[in-house]
Amino acid sequence: MPGERIYEDLTLVRRRARAAFWTVAALIVLVLAYYWKVQVFDNAKFARMAEANRTRIRTLAAPRGLVLDRNREILADNRASFKVSLVREHVGDMDAMFASVSRLLGLDEATLRERVELHKDLPLFEPIVVADGLDADAVAPIESRRLEHPELVVESEPQRHYPKGRRAAHVLGYLQERTAEELRAGGAKRMRAGEMVGRAGVERQYDDILRGQDGSVVEVVDSLGRVQYEQAHEFPAQGAEVVLTLDDRLQELAEAALEGREGVVVALAPDSGEVLALASSPTFDPNRFITRFTPAEWRDLINDPLSPLENRAIRGLYAPGSIFKLVMSLGGLAEGSITPATTVYCSGATRIYGALRHCWFEPGHGAMDLSDAIKNSCNIYFYKLGQSMDIDTIAGAARRLGLGRATGIDLAGEKDGLVPDRAWKKAALGEPWFPGETISVAIGQGQLQVTPVQVAALTAAIARRGRPGPAPHLFRSSPKVDAPTGPEAPDGPAAAAAAEPLLPASAFESVIAGMWRSANDGGTGQGARVEGFDVCGKTGSTQVMSRESAAKLAQSGREVKTHSWFSGFAPRERPRLVVTVLVEYGGGGGATAAPVAGRIFARFRELEPR
Amino acid sequence: MISIDRRLVREIDWVLLGLVLLQSLIGVFFIYSSSRFLAGDFYVRQLVWIGISLAVLVFVVAVDYKFFVSLAPYFYVLIAAVLAATLFFARIVAGTRSWITLGLMRLQPSELAKIVMILVFARLFAEYKSPMLTLPRTLWALAIAGLPMLLIVLQPDLGTAMTFAAVVGGAFLLAGLKRKTIALFVVVGLLGGVGVWNLALKDYQKRRITTLVNPQGDPRGSGYQVIQSRIAIGSGGFSGTGFMKGTQSQLRFLPARHTDFIFSVIGEEAGFLGVFAVAALYLALLARMFLSVAAARDRAGVYIVFMASLLIAFQFLVNIMMVVGLFPVVGITLPFLSYGGSSLLASFAACGLVLNVKMRRFANV
Repeated sequence: MPGERIYEDLTLVRRRARAAFWTVAALIVLVLAYYWKVQVFDNAKFARMAEANRTRIRTLAAPRGLVLDRNREILADNRASFKVSLVREHVGDMDAMFASVSRLLGLDEATLRERVELHKDLPLFEPIVVADGLDADAVAPIESRRLEHPELVVESEPQRHYPKGRRAAHVLGYLQERTAEELRAGGAKRMRAGEMVGRAGVERQYDDILRGQDGSVVEVVDSLGRVQYEQAHEFPAQGAEVVLTLDDRLQELAEAALEGREGVVVALAPDSGEVLALASSPTFDPNRFITRFTPAEWRDLINDPLSPLENRAIRGLYAPGSIFKLVMSLGGLAEGSITPATTVYCSGATRIYGALRHCWFEPGHGAMDLSDAIKNSCNIYFYKLGQSMDIDTIAGAARRLGLGRATGIDLAGEKDGLVPDRAWKKAALGEPWFPGETISVAIGQGQLQVTPVQVAALTAAIARRGRPGPAPHLFRSSPKVDAPTGPEAPDGPAAAAAAEPLLPASAFESVIAGMWRSANDGGTGQGARVEGFDVCGKTGSTQVMSRESAAKLAQSGREVKTHSWFSGFAPRERPRLVVTVLVEYGGGGGATAAPVAGRIFARFRELEPR
Repeated sequence: MISIDRRLVREIDWVLLGLVLLQSLIGVFFIYSSSRFLAGDFYVRQLVWIGISLAVLVFVVAVDYKFFVSLAPYFYVLIAAVLAATLFFARIVAGTRSWITLGLMRLQPSELAKIVMILVFARLFAEYKSPMLTLPRTLWALAIAGLPMLLIVLQPDLGTAMTFAAVVGGAFLLAGLKRKTIALFVVVGLLGGVGVWNLALKDYQKRRITTLVNPQGDPRGSGYQVIQSRIAIGSGGFSGTGFMKGTQSQLRFLPARHTDFIFSVIGEEAGFLGVFAVAALYLALLARMFLSVAAARDRAGVYIVFMASLLIAFQFLVNIMMVVGLFPVVGITLPFLSYGGSSLLASFAACGLVLNVKMRRFANV
């Protein structure tokens, strides 16, 4: 035994050393037990974490479907572009990042901060788009500094493009980035941060059709986020195309006619309700929306006093003026207050309920039957008619012709307008109806409010001689939709209202006769006359201020301008086109609006001679 | 003085030496797996260092440990001077002044200081034959240990300082401490701990300790290493993801893969089986080392064997606890397996001392 050779007593220290070893051995076993727990029991959890660590799912944005006009002219398509996003999770020092990234992207720092601030509620790992619409040259310097900027992600993305710029902007609408609130609300709908969605117009109305199915790619990345290889690829599917009823050639003309003014042109086919042109001026360039606005740019746009974003055709509320005389005539004939032969003598002025009321034509029109009164837009005739009709009867006729209620056109945000009657006044103002107010309504003034598209629908109903017809609509077809017309098109409320004809066709004929004479027989609408096309129409000029202040203005030598209306159809028999024109502060309807309509009728006849 | 006679060579514990080399080679494999995509051929360098360390081991074995022990005071003065000089002249690597450059080699004097302390304490305590240390002697020993330790703390290298403290503390326990002295140590230790926490620890060191309690509290900062390391080990499962197939190490999520966290790579790529195998080999090695105390012919030999064994055991335990999140990340390498020349050299030298003591059990004084 070695112990025998030892001349020192080392028993104690040896025992202590052995004890130390067994302590160490016991600790090792305990630690191994913990490794067993981590590696065997918790393996699934950690394996998942390792997987999440190394893989990154990148969305491949689907291109939106094309929007085409009725002749398959492209109104909206896509083009390749790059966008740069920022992932805050990978930012060390925010301030330093703002300084260097703004320099790199050529943005000013405040703008960059504002963009990031806008999305500050998103989770840190969600990329925030800070620049887009870039071409390959613009992203090259960013790609080359990838290591210095692990927080920047450059992706190519199909970007919505409107090749004709401002053309049909109000019909097409625009796209905007999904808001943080929408993302949070989530829901069943597929959505992702930075995604552009339709916010107005057709882009919004048919977003579900136009929006494609995003693809995805699973990327395997290293700890610096550098892509090592791609694992799975699901290709994006483009959204389906939408063919609109618009005719780009008419649309172009309509917009050119409104250039520099505020106003509306609506052209539609009376039998099908198909909208061939819908222009609202001033307008905007939807391409501008694609590159994400800063809040300041957005504020400037919505605070523009001329509100270029507002689609006046469906949201502009105007007094119908003399256009309403058509409703009065049809209502009067229906109720029996007048017959086509009823004659009224116009001396230029008349006293009604103790107040002197003037005709717009001071010398007076003389003796007039219904068609003369419509042709000359004689106020006196309709004052008298208003005197003999009850406001509720007038309101009933107006409603049956589609006023006071949205037409149901397939654009969001359409307004109802207002047809006043006793019940409305009681409810809204708490006052009884005064007979004098009926007189104002009789010439389309007072509290009456209509939208241009309602006037177009009303004109279409007259052109159809009261036969029911589909509501105005823009959707023509899409491979994704089985029905020949749009999801909302044919059964709009206007169609339901017209289901019951207001009158026998003969009553319409006498009103139409007046409308024909207005354009073709030296009436107020002669500016709309097109040789050989039998335009039938009605003008309107609406006071935008009281007659008294207008008189004062005129005395002081200032020009008094009124809103200018024209609405009509052509040809007289088997009408094919309805045109409604409104020009704000355009002066007399005959002088401004009717010639615009005339140009549209003429062009249509040229395009579709039949 | 340098005499290797055949009788002595026969007495060398070849099993112990074999275990050391086996561990080192396992280390080379996983260093290769985790660093082959980095410039610098770390596994080749590690092989070179194994060769150098083996040469040093042979030298350590060849000289009677009694001679080393007799030179301990000179070593002590020398290493204290080098540590002090390191503070002034060393390059800052990873935030610490721990490295000095000698020609082609970079060395960590603090690693060598551990070996020196083994010899110093063997000499110091070999003379105390009473079962318990007296207080004055305890304080004297503490002062001797305290100077190099202070210099290491100043670098700052918390891990090495801790190892240092553990080995010295082990020597005290072996020498025997009175209850009163232990109580005094505990009180002073607690007060000192609070003082160090408030005054001496740098923020990053404090964070490492708080991270142990809550690694998710700072997932991108000091918690990152522990989280990634745990993911690596946990995702290895029972049998591992396969050699060179661990995503955590191959895709560089795991920090310090080939150095301090080499055991996580083993855990990921070789699974629990690999962990168990390495731990079993370690246990065998430690048993062989610790139980060599029975073969020491004198008190100095017992201290050398015990402190050398404790040095390896402490680093092993702390490292495998650290990488799995049971201990703060303090920068302690896994002896024999982690990449790094100084660490390898110190570990081989420690084993050399054990072999030295063991093979000379029959030698005449």
